[in-house]
Amino acid sequence: MWHENIDHANVINRTKTTMRQTLLRLPTRNSVWAFRASRPAQIASTRRSFASEASPSPEVYDVVVVGGGPVGLTLAASLGAARTTSHLKVALIEGMDLAPIRNWSPKPDYFANRIVSLIPSTVRLLKEIGAWKHIQQNRVQSYDGMQVWDGMTGARVEFDWNKLWGGKDEQTDTTIAHMVENIHLSHGLLKAIGDLAVQPTMIDKTKVERIQYGEMTGQLDMRDWPVVTLSTGQQLAARLLIGADGGNSPVRTFAGIESRGWDYDRHSMVATFKIEDDSAFPKFAYQRFLPSGPVAILPLPGNFANLAWSTTPEKVTHLKSLAPEDFVAMVNAAFRLSYTDIDYLHNLKSGVVEETKWRESVTQHPDPPQIPVRITEVLDGTRASFPLKMRHADKYIAERIALVGDAAHTIHPMAGQGLNSGIGDVYSLVKSLAEGIRHGQDVGSSFTLEPFQSERYLPNNALLGFVDKLHTLYGFESGPLVPLRSLGVEIINRDWFGLKRFLMSQAAKS
Amino acid sequence: MLRRSLRIGAPLLHSLEPVQRAPRLSPSNIDRAIQKFSSQNARCISTSAYRRKAEAGNSTTGSRGAVDPDELSHFNALASTWWDAQGPSRLLHLMNPMRINFAKHCLQMHPTSATADAGGGESPFSKGLRVLDVGCGGGIFSESIARLPETSHVVGLDPSEQILAVARAHAKKDPTLTGKLQYINSTIDDYPSDHQVDLLTLFEVVEHVPYPAAFLQSCMRHVRPGGWIVLSTIARTWSSWFTTKLVAEDLLRIVPRGTHDWHKYINENEMRAFFEKQPGWGAQGMLSMGCLYVPGFGWKAVKGSEHIGNYFFGVRRDMQ
Repeated sequence: MWHENIDHANVINRTKTTMRQTLLRLPTRNSVWAFRASRPAQIASTRRSFASEASPSPEVYDVVVVGGGPVGLTLAASLGAARTTSHLKVALIEGMDLAPIRNWSPKPDYFANRIVSLIPSTVRLLKEIGAWKHIQQNRVQSYDGMQVWDGMTGARVEFDWNKLWGGKDEQTDTTIAHMVENIHLSHGLLKAIGDLAVQPTMIDKTKVERIQYGEMTGQLDMRDWPVVTLSTGQQLAARLLIGADGGNSPVRTFAGIESRGWDYDRHSMVATFKIEDDSAFPKFAYQRFLPSGPVAILPLPGNFANLAWSTTPEKVTHLKSLAPEDFVAMVNAAFRLSYTDIDYLHNLKSGVVEETKWRESVTQHPDPPQIPVRITEVLDGTRASFPLKMRHADKYIAERIALVGDAAHTIHPMAGQGLNSGIGDVYSLVKSLAEGIRHGQDVGSSFTLEPFQSERYLPNNALLGFVDKLHTLYGFESGPLVPLRSLGVEIINRDWFGLKRFLMSQAAKS
Repeated sequence: MLRRSLRIGAPLLHSLEPVQRAPRLSPSNIDRAIQKFSSQNARCISTSAYRRKAEAGNSTTGSRGAVDPDELSHFNALASTWWDAQGPSRLLHLMNPMRINFAKHCLQMHPTSATADAGGGESPFSKGLRVLDVGCGGGIFSESIARLPETSHVVGLDPSEQILAVARAHAKKDPTLTGKLQYINSTIDDYPSDHQVDLLTLFEVVEHVPYPAAFLQSCMRHVRPGGWIVLSTIARTWSSWFTTKLVAEDLLRIVPRGTHDWHKYINENEMRAFFEKQPGWGAQGMLSMGCLYVPGFGWKAVKGSEHIGNYFFGVRRDMQ
């Protein structure tokens, strides 16, 4: 019995082996194997057809810009305006609705709370790309001078080209910067884009769902082309994908580029004010360094001004909770009272007006134009704040990727250089792309992009470092660094070693 | 900058040695070279298609062995990293804009007849510039010249199928190149010349060729009257040995070892003398431009450096 069984088993085994051998030669349809083998093939084919239904092959663009902020818009406008790059097929993707910006019509007695200071080199680029002519000059405030002083020691540096040269020079542009509302700038840029002969594809109210690499299809190998899938299902393949998408840049994440830095545990409080008549004084920008952060009043046309007060999140919450008149008193005090007084006032929930009145009467403080004229009123709904941080991406480029503006570097706003350095990036990038196109290079190739990175990385790094050190340096209330920093400020202010000229010319160039 | 550093119409240099390898072109030498070529190819390239080609080359190739088998295997080994931005071919990539500048400059000096016919169009290139890039390698120059709007058609020629596979694969990454750029696995001798081109380029090629005189003459057949040969190579000087062999290959290793054979370098005056002797060449344009690689700054055109190291050379075929 056993033997028979074993024999039987052997027979079965043998038949199995022979079957297996013969199966290899059989037409696959008749075998279990064939069924198994056909399943992955089926899945693959259904998957393929599904993919082609859901996403028809992506539309091919030369440049896809993610982000429709001022930097992204400047980039789109510059690409269209520069002769060498104007033939490129460009798309810009923005999550927000651009229509309110396009249709922006300002009220004469109102200024938005988000404003930017544009240095002369930025304005030059905006002129070149045809955006500056769309900026209403009566809503732009330029200023020639800056008053910066130490909240602890009173050491002061005055940046004023006209004084430095001993009188006003009509030949030279002595403007330090132009203050423009963000929305006004974006409005002008959108108009400039509207003027272009070759319009970029503007896609707004649309989010970037995901970014992935393309596929190999027949004659085309798009495996190193970023393909952007939008929330509408639309797909765009990018010869060059540019991240102008801010501090948390999805493009940067996709490229696997690390961004390093730290949060300052500070928020910046902004607001727009009406001020006392200041026509007797030159329009200056004023910045006082308090240990909790700098507080600045920036000029706007007429009797308006804008606040940028960097301080701790708790103090920002307090400033926002105050009644309007108390808030106004608080800001006036920030330029007049001692830091101890200001710190104390932050504990008051109300009655700041009365409290500041007598404290100011017993405190010695300079008069305008050394400090800003008094503010009288805060415009409704203009009090807002945002957290401050410092970040720098390890690099700005990868194959078919470039980062500009905040996506590449986020800076403390005390020097007003954030947007300016972003626009500096745009200028440099467009220059590099044009150079690459003239030499027949692929605009996405890293050889095309390398000059952009090598031109921008170190200057941006130096600027980030400089502003970051200022933040640290002025964070001390006492100690050996306090007199030292005042000494340094004194040296700068007297223009020893040409330091002041150097700083001012650097600030104008960026 | 470019214009300043160009030596245009330099006085004829007498007492020049003829291009050195021309005398070596005796039949026995050629046979030996071809034999060596085909046998080594069979060893280093395993694809049967290529072996067939090499064997065919042995029996039917014309009189000139334009390919050195050692060179072939050296460049085959580099194929996979050809387009790596940080790879061994980085210096070539960085040099490419200068190649384009120099070629544009040559064509601008004497617009090809097609431009003149078109009524003196402003473009330096004719409406459809036809280019033959001999020794195209991974296609660094072929791709870039093909992308220029003035170019109508580019053929890249290389004896290594392995490198051409890299070139073809890379060209697929750019849809605009489709139909404009074609790679052919052939030597210049085997390439049928049914169309003469406006621009024939030999970038970093002649220093890798065993018989440059014969090779250049082969190339000349493919250029139409009024067209240009534009090449770049390295002068044979103590400083080029120092920079290209010792520093670049052995010390800094920014160029793969064994890329260059210093003895094969051709000096600018030798090149000039060679073309001066070719009837129908160079009377309407012969120029050169020296350039130097400065680490940290890239390639720079430097006046007079054509006698020191790397140089570009352009020569025009006379209009009849």
